[in-house]
Amino acid sequence: MDDGKVTLGRTAGLYIGAAVLRLSLFTLFPGLPDLLTGRVEISTPVTSFKRLQEGLFLYNHNVSPYDGGVYHQAPLFLPLFSLLPSFATLPIFTFILYIAVDLLSANALFKIANSGEAGSSALFTSPRRDKRWSGPVVAAVFLFNPFTIATCIGRPTSVFTTCAILHAIAKAVAGAPFTAMVALSFAAYLSMYPLLLLPPLLLLAYDRQRLPKGITAKPSGLTFAASHLLVVVGVLSALFGMSYLMTGSWEFLPSTYGIQLTLSDLTPNVGLWWYFFIEMFDSFRSFFLAVFWLHLSAYVGGLTVRIRRQPLAVITLLLGIFTIFKPYPSISDSSLFLALVPLYRHVFPLMRYTFLVAAIILYTVFLGPAFYHLWIYAGSGNANFFYAITLVWGLGLSLLVCDLTFAVLRDEWEVERPEMVGKEIRQI
Amino acid sequence: MRQFFSFLLFSLLSICVHPRAASASSDYHEQLVLRPLPLSALLASFNFRSNTTLSAFEAHNFRFFPRSLGQILQHAGTRELHLRFSLGRWDAESWGARPWDGAREGGTGVELWAWLDAETDEEADHKWLTLTNALSGLFCASLNFIDSTRTTRPVMSFQPEGDHPNSTETNTHLLYGVLPHEVVCTENLTPFLKLLPCKGKAGIATLLDGHKLFDASWQSMAIDIRPVCPADGECVLEIEQTIDMVLDIERSKRPRGNPIPRPPPGHELKCDTSKPYHADDTCFPADYSANQEWSLSQIFGRTIKGTCPLTDPNTPPVCLQVPESRSVFISNGSLEKKNADGASRCYEIEPEAEFEMILPAPSDAAQTENKAQAELQDLVKPETPLLYAERSFTGHGQERGGVQTILRNPSPDREVEFIYMESLPWFMRIYLHTIEARIEGQSGKQRDSLIQEVYYRPAVDRARGTQLEVRMRVPPASTVFLTYDFEKSILRYTEYPPDANRGFDVAAAVITILNSTDSVSSSSGRSVAYALRTTSLLCSLPTPDFSMPYNVIIFTSTAIALAFGGMFNILVRRFVAADEGPEVSLGGLKGRLMDKLGKLLALFKSKGGGIKKTE
Repeated sequence: MDDGKVTLGRTAGLYIGAAVLRLSLFTLFPGLPDLLTGRVEISTPVTSFKRLQEGLFLYNHNVSPYDGGVYHQAPLFLPLFSLLPSFATLPIFTFILYIAVDLLSANALFKIANSGEAGSSALFTSPRRDKRWSGPVVAAVFLFNPFTIATCIGRPTSVFTTCAILHAIAKAVAGAPFTAMVALSFAAYLSMYPLLLLPPLLLLAYDRQRLPKGITAKPSGLTFAASHLLVVVGVLSALFGMSYLMTGSWEFLPSTYGIQLTLSDLTPNVGLWWYFFIEMFDSFRSFFLAVFWLHLSAYVGGLTVRIRRQPLAVITLLLGIFTIFKPYPSISDSSLFLALVPLYRHVFPLMRYTFLVAAIILYTVFLGPAFYHLWIYAGSGNANFFYAITLVWGLGLSLLVCDLTFAVLRDEWEVERPEMVGKEIRQI
Repeated sequence: MRQFFSFLLFSLLSICVHPRAASASSDYHEQLVLRPLPLSALLASFNFRSNTTLSAFEAHNFRFFPRSLGQILQHAGTRELHLRFSLGRWDAESWGARPWDGAREGGTGVELWAWLDAETDEEADHKWLTLTNALSGLFCASLNFIDSTRTTRPVMSFQPEGDHPNSTETNTHLLYGVLPHEVVCTENLTPFLKLLPCKGKAGIATLLDGHKLFDASWQSMAIDIRPVCPADGECVLEIEQTIDMVLDIERSKRPRGNPIPRPPPGHELKCDTSKPYHADDTCFPADYSANQEWSLSQIFGRTIKGTCPLTDPNTPPVCLQVPESRSVFISNGSLEKKNADGASRCYEIEPEAEFEMILPAPSDAAQTENKAQAELQDLVKPETPLLYAERSFTGHGQERGGVQTILRNPSPDREVEFIYMESLPWFMRIYLHTIEARIEGQSGKQRDSLIQEVYYRPAVDRARGTQLEVRMRVPPASTVFLTYDFEKSILRYTEYPPDANRGFDVAAAVITILNSTDSVSSSSGRSVAYALRTTSLLCSLPTPDFSMPYNVIIFTSTAIALAFGGMFNILVRRFVAADEGPEVSLGGLKGRLMDKLGKLLALFKSKGGGIKKTE
């Protein structure tokens, strides 16, 4: 901040370093991209790059990719990837696209971090806000996170959602609510669940909006929400309309979003849904699907109301919740959550279980692939091995989310009770 | 007038003399063709064919046509029907081309395809459901399990065999269903024989015995029903029932009462005397492929009980395809007719007598040093098939795999063009973009030059299977590898069969070789030259733990409850300093407990005292 030039130079160096690292991984290990694409931790039925290629192949050969059980991704990916030179002949363009998307995400994160929104929002200023990490550090944590790198090399389409969500936040922070809503609509169009981020994002945009000159009074919250809701609805319907024109029918809706609601594809992933619905009794399947979705959306209201003064914290926590409880999670979602957590560097001292969480995450990262191998390839373990690891992973991350919530709330509370800093407290 | 005359003749003759001359215009034919194959195998092809005029059929006037089947066909609006029950593998490398050019065989399990009359696809589906359920009852097979996930509508592979008027073609729907897991057995043979006019009581059908038929190395039972319109005369509905089986002679000759193979005593061992170490006490077992002596009763366990009186006398009931030089013994009263081609002969059988045939081992004089050559001299040389095909899985693990089909064209100068059809279950998610055809020994992909046309209908989870039809060609004297990748999906635990870890059967690929014509236009108008099927495959899917649905539900619910509870606990409660707020510490709890306990003790003491007093 104090020296713009140096920061800029450092940031450029950081981006170049990240790009070179990814490019060298792509080119020096030609087998690595396909290996990572095949990993269930990275590719889910709704994001897999191999399925995208199949969809693209069918699309280019005039077979509807949605009239089948393989392709469950948004229709607009098809023309986008058709424009790129064929992956089979010139893979470098795909690599560059994915690297660029990662860098764009990092740039959005950089802006969010530099805005200082995490430490001092419109309604709340943390006494610890000076202990934050600057933009380049947060961007570096994102870019050099092994999860992010593995995701980039594995090329699931969830990176586009990540990018859209980060841009929505960045634009909202920068006081451009309209662009933020457009970006969120894109994210929701690509993978549906970001729609649940709408309430906190509206609050964030409302708090940070730049008023036109001459107007001092903010518009009422309701009109703001209604007008921007209209923007989201408008953009989404435009995207759906384009998809309809492109594919010629509405069958992409059940195939793309219906599968997330009904979980008809039970391919293993790091989440909790797949094994639960493999073992679920048929008569209770729909009931538990409804319960799981209700559970996922239950956090939105509670968090938004309770942490009203820090909408960015709500978004961060919700992304953490989604990482654990959405139907087809992958480590790509974890990398998004873990990218936003460093924004709350100033509340880290208030967290109680950092070591435990770090240990659990490391434990699952190493044991997950091993147990999956034991089940699928070696045959010496069964499905419960991998299931147990996903359970531990979910518990570890939920501990992190809860701990972060606690830290953020205690930070808020200490503004009211400055004498309690460092004291033992309890909740009643 | 002629009809009347023939009827008169028939009634007259059938009483006294000979039914042979009677049914001169008989509509029923049956024939058994026996062909010894290399490696001491014997191909027995039973063929039964009968006709009924379409007008009689529509008037519910069945004569030779089985009434039970006819009524099903009428009810389900079936124009043409093909049903196959098969087991085993045809060893094309040693046995050569398939009988009937592969037109009368199916893949392992049950296969059914039919042309149905229907205005819409839904109506066709409905009629198909009726048909499969009715046939399931008739043939004691699980044909009713041919649901939408196992039904496809082939576009290029199957051509109607019968004559269909052009006007109805738009309303005819071809549906194809396959059950690779079905185990064909005796309960399917019995209804099959009941459809015959002589019900297996007379004629060549008396040889059919479940013990022998289902013990064969390869067997295929086929029913084909098709309308045939001769150039002159009325259209007829033809039903053809075929049973082809390849028996291992040595295995079939095992006595019925002592079927367990035991090592033969030393003096019965056949030794290869050409080995230098051959001695009285040293024996190198001779190749079992050496020609053996066999007779009908040894192979089939019984003899032919006369002829079926309804059969056409002009068709000889039994034919044998061996070179003319070999001698064959037959029972008295039968006539041998050698055919002009020098490689087959047929026998006329006494109507009421039992027929036995003995094929002695070729004379020792023919035994030259070269055994293989000697064998070929005593057998009709198997015809080389147009194409050899083998299909297998590649890869390992239960996550993904690949399918590889090796297609070899043995002809030195002729290119083979064919349609390769796969009908795969929905839980094999194939990636069509990985399909690749390459010629052995050549690098690079020749996808575009070898694969000419692809028809693909992707699977929909739990609703529809994959249908893949590839029109491709194999250049002369070359081997082509056709490969593609697939992913194995994991199912709900109720969708697994009880033997989940055995794997799931994948139906045979159907390869239809087209007659080469000069015009390369559409494939629809070209007739089928040869058909073959690969073996079925066994695909193992990842399995969940079947024993713990409750545990999984409880564990996952606990994890969710922990997260939800932890989160909302933090959200809804207020922060206070450790020493503020109401006392809920352990000390307080302990005090309250002690208090309660004290009260309880006091109560007991007072009661005890009361009791003492009364004593």
